[in-house]
Amino acid sequence: MKRPLAAVGDINMNKKLKQQEEEMSREAEAVLLHDNLLFEVLKHVDDGRTLASAACVSRQWKRTAQDERLWELICTKHYNSTPLQLRVVVLALGGFRRLYSSHLWPLLRQSSSSSSSSSPSSVSAWPCLPPAPAERPRSKARWGRDEVNLSLSLLSIKYFEKMSFNRGK
Amino acid sequence: MKRDNPNQLNFATSSSSNKGKMWCEEQDAGGVDELFAVLGYKVKSSDMAEVAQKLEHLEEVMGSVQQDGLSQIASDTVHYNPSDLSSWLESMISELNPLPNFESFNSIVQDPFLETSCVTSIDSHSYNSLNSHARSHISVSTQQQMVVDSDFGSDLISIPGKAVYPPSQQHPPLQHQPQPKKLKPSSYSGMGSSNTASWGSPNESISAHPIESARPMLLVDSQENGIRLVHSLMACAEAVQQQNMNLAEALVKQIGFLAVSQAGAMRKVATYFAEALARRIYKLYPTNPHDTAFTDLLQMHFYETCPYLKFAHFTANQAILEAFAGKSRVHIIDFGMKQGMQWPALLQALALRPGGPPSFRLTGIGPPSHDNMDHLREVGCKLAQLAETIHVEFDYRGFVANSLADLNASMFDVREGETVAVNSIFELHQLLAQPGAIEKVLQVVSEVKPEILTVVELEANHNGPVFLDRFTESLHYYSTLFDSLESSGGGDIGGGAVSVQDKVMSEVYLGRQICNVVACEGPDRVERHETLVQWRTRFQSAGFGPVHLGSNAYRQASMLLALFAGGDGYRVEEKDGCLTLGWHTRPLIATSAWKLI
Repeated sequence: MKRPLAAVGDINMNKKLKQQEEEMSREAEAVLLHDNLLFEVLKHVDDGRTLASAACVSRQWKRTAQDERLWELICTKHYNSTPLQLRVVVLALGGFRRLYSSHLWPLLRQSSSSSSSSSPSSVSAWPCLPPAPAERPRSKARWGRDEVNLSLSLLSIKYFEKMSFNRGK
Repeated sequence: MKRDNPNQLNFATSSSSNKGKMWCEEQDAGGVDELFAVLGYKVKSSDMAEVAQKLEHLEEVMGSVQQDGLSQIASDTVHYNPSDLSSWLESMISELNPLPNFESFNSIVQDPFLETSCVTSIDSHSYNSLNSHARSHISVSTQQQMVVDSDFGSDLISIPGKAVYPPSQQHPPLQHQPQPKKLKPSSYSGMGSSNTASWGSPNESISAHPIESARPMLLVDSQENGIRLVHSLMACAEAVQQQNMNLAEALVKQIGFLAVSQAGAMRKVATYFAEALARRIYKLYPTNPHDTAFTDLLQMHFYETCPYLKFAHFTANQAILEAFAGKSRVHIIDFGMKQGMQWPALLQALALRPGGPPSFRLTGIGPPSHDNMDHLREVGCKLAQLAETIHVEFDYRGFVANSLADLNASMFDVREGETVAVNSIFELHQLLAQPGAIEKVLQVVSEVKPEILTVVELEANHNGPVFLDRFTESLHYYSTLFDSLESSGGGDIGGGAVSVQDKVMSEVYLGRQICNVVACEGPDRVERHETLVQWRTRFQSAGFGPVHLGSNAYRQASMLLALFAGGDGYRVEEKDGCLTLGWHTRPLIATSAWKLI
């Protein structure tokens, strides 16, 4: 880095900029490395894929991104008027993250690939590959009540099957 | 295995099409080819391509040699053991010192040997051509005659002479121009065999084929074999119907061979049907499986592999859920408890319904178990545990009964203010084996005064009075079912793929049904499936009227199917308020709901 010879003022400017940058990054760090704040940020995530990717960033992010409340938000995003006992029941049966990853996600993936799905919510292309930077039809698959209900049924069946396994039947 | 330009051959068929039918064999991995072995030739399956090539080469060579040269060959071949086909050919070829001579070759190789009056497939051509060559040799030299199995009925053809039927099919591996026919020199005319008819009228036209003689080709005409297989199955069933057991026996053996030549679903279906027919013929009736645990296990695998059972459960549950809307005390009577896989989903749905879950009672009925474990109770305990986890008040009672007809309404202890639902998945058809049983059961059901009766049954008529009709129906039905199984690479439910074991077990499960439909009679034949229309008549005469399954059930079912690989093939259809799940155009199971009117 070449210092301009005759610009002491410039040097000061650079220093200041650097300081500002450092401050900013420290603030950002503070947010992103702080569990609660990170949680608040992740609450705004729209879809499961993003949240799942977030969980891959670091151990701390994983802890936060795997919080059931975040996944509950994702699962019930398009489900108007969720039943009161939903949280209790789902948590008992394995949790929202499992609900999404094992049951809701395959359902959405399949229904987006088969265009003749009769689900009431419209499903647009779900990108299976990392999106090309140019045009990105940012998938807005909607998972309404029917999809969630079906996934819940499957979750309960799976739980039941696993129960027998544990009992050593 | 490739098929070489069948279109370029003459596809003339004639009345003698029955003759000259050959069996094509598929390779056996390793070991001696079984069809050749039957005929007395030991040919390793791995050598087949080579043998084929050599035979072609031989043909070439023989064609180029002048007529008298042949008799010389004939005398020489005594020294070689024809059962070792490969080396025999080798020696033949080396003796002949081949110099392919195109012109003379043409005249010989074409015409009578390429006579297609017999079969429309490529294979027969070379069969005939080589047949003649081979036969001349062998009958002159070694005098070994194949004994044709005379047990076969009139439908079957005798295997002409020394059946050296190479699987390879190339047409004379040289280019040749269509030539005016010239019958093969008379030295062959003495051979009487059922194939002589084929030598009669020569080919009209043989188009030139590009030769790729170096490429070993094994042709398995499985399509034609498939047709033959079906015909044989039907013929065998007819023979059984007419009590012509000898013919049936012969046919069953043939079916066994043909089945092996097929692949995939057809093979499995044919094998099961052949086994069932054999049992019927030899009177080795299968005893009804007492090991219900094993049957349950098989059904579990079937549950995982394909959507039929899940469809049944989901649609029935939806109907029950709707019938229970607003009710605070519910009681379900399940006629076939098995592993209880239907109920977790219903419990969960009830737990989440607006207004909270009702208090839930379940009465499960099952057959007596032959090991010391109380399966019914275990299933009940598991369900109770699940219900507790999701905070649903749960009460369970298990009943052991040999037949549903043994039950009566008072056993169920229906309490005041309870809403009852009766559920039967693939249970009612078994009652048709005993006269009067179904009426009694329906009577009991109406005494219980259920809010809804949900019934899922196989959509097929396998209970006709005529054996042949039942056979035909079930052949079509199970073929479709096996087809759908084949396509089920797996269901993505819970991210688990269907394993090969699941698939195999499902096939065994279905195979048992096939065995029962075909081989059993009287009270043993419990797989008495009937169609929805037939059931409707029965229910209506017992005082029940249909309840329309709503669009929720339809939607859920359709979504469910999307999760199964091969989901495109499955079709959910609505028929008079009932839902059917089928494979392509054929409905296979039907869910219906009924209530007392």
